[in-house]
Amino acid sequence: MHDQMPAALPKPAPGLFWNPYLQIFLTVLLTAAAQILLKVGADYSAANDTFWSWLGLAELGSVWTWLGILAFLASFGGWLYALRFLPLSLAFALTNGVHIFVPIGSWYFLGEHIGTLRAGGILAIIVGVLFLAQSVAKAEEKV
Amino acid sequence: MSLLAWVLVIISQLALVAGQIFLKRAMSRREHGGEKARGWIGMLTMGIATMTVWFLLWLGVMHQVELSKLMPFEGISPLLIVLGAAAFLRERLNWRGWAGVILTCLGVLLVSAS
Repeated sequence: MHDQMPAALPKPAPGLFWNPYLQIFLTVLLTAAAQILLKVGADYSAANDTFWSWLGLAELGSVWTWLGILAFLASFGGWLYALRFLPLSLAFALTNGVHIFVPIGSWYFLGEHIGTLRAGGILAIIVGVLFLAQSVAKAEEKV
Repeated sequence: MSLLAWVLVIISQLALVAGQIFLKRAMSRREHGGEKARGWIGMLTMGIATMTVWFLLWLGVMHQVELSKLMPFEGISPLLIVLGAAAFLRERLNWRGWAGVILTCLGVLLVSAS
């Protein structure tokens, strides 16, 4: 697997939508949305305990499941796009943003409690993502 | 955790790292064009296949092992990716990048432990 030399990463097309960091942000949001949609679809099919529901195929009868699958495909597209322009180590670490949004979303929308340990973890991820963003900015200055 | 669960978790984490490296390789090849660009679809297919192995193994161990015991493995995955990308893609991080990766790993561990 050593056939590739490190090369300067290409520049993305102009415009906010084509910004790879925005695409990673959308990937994270779409993955979280897909998981929630698939869960809703699974709950829907769990209600009818048929042969197909045991095979995981009954979920396909729910429009929520299909929306979940669409969201997953879209998030994969965004991820591939971001990989064209960003180093894998940075892009992957940035996807940890999902661990910020899920607890905050659960607190805001579902009224779930955020304990000290969890708050500490969220803070560590936020500071970590800021460090990653700075490291990218420094790397781009040198290019 | 049983020995089998350990083995499956380790294989799934390796598949995750390998899959992401294949995907990155595929997108880099596509970008460079010319002779190298030809193999990018094959590389993308390898990436998707390896990520599918990761997904199925991960689902499998989730059925057998409590989620709280699995979350630390999810926490260290960015670190494994950094090591894999350094070895196979020759990516290098500066100290800010390392600090960011270690803090996000720590954060994920804390969130999952709570």
